[in-house]
Amino acid sequence: MKFVTKLFGEVDIDESKMLTFEEGIIGYPFLHHFFMIYDAEQEKRSEISWMQSVEEPAFALPVINPLVIEPSYNPSVEDELLSQLGDCGEEGFLVLSTLRVPPDITQMTINLRAPLIINPQTRKCRQIIIEDEHYSVRFPAYDVLKKRGEKEGE
Amino acid sequence: MLALSRKKGESIILNNDIELTILEVKGDQVKVGVNAPKSVPVYRKEVYLQIQQENREAAAEHARQSLRSLLGAE
Repeated sequence: MKFVTKLFGEVDIDESKMLTFEEGIIGYPFLHHFFMIYDAEQEKRSEISWMQSVEEPAFALPVINPLVIEPSYNPSVEDELLSQLGDCGEEGFLVLSTLRVPPDITQMTINLRAPLIINPQTRKCRQIIIEDEHYSVRFPAYDVLKKRGEKEGE
Repeated sequence: MLALSRKKGESIILNNDIELTILEVKGDQVKVGVNAPKSVPVYRKEVYLQIQQENREAAAEHARQSLRSLLGAE
């Protein structure tokens, strides 16, 4: 299916890979469907990918595996909150966090308080808010990513 | 908005399976008990709004350009 996005222009997407957020994401209850986009113009595939909205072509969230930034990340979540996503089998759920990238990129942060939980089997997803307030909405992400970038460049 | 008057100990039922109970009233503070299925997320509004704001800022259009310079893709 051809699909025109604001950031990436026209992309060809496989409808079987569509992610469904039944109740939308937080603050955007009308955005139900997303696709993962990997920024293909980059030479090496980055750890950061984009979750592109189907309903809103201008809406795309940069996302990353939170363990890349915070290796001890292990929030507890009520099983019942994820029951509507269906059985994920042995593979488990996939967890992604959004990145906030301000014009001054050194101030970049990751949102560890409201992860996106994805069932890779059913492709049903939900954004939840972690009760534990120790998980920061704006956890610094720049230094870790910068260091990883430098390592790869060596 | 529907406005209902409730006294301490009285409740409101939403959608058959959610019960809000007024537990305590002290000055300008009200303690509300929420009895809902565990699959229903319950958030304080200020936290919800904070996450909404975070989602909005994450979707900012300049993010891609900034990220590309960080990742050395120029």
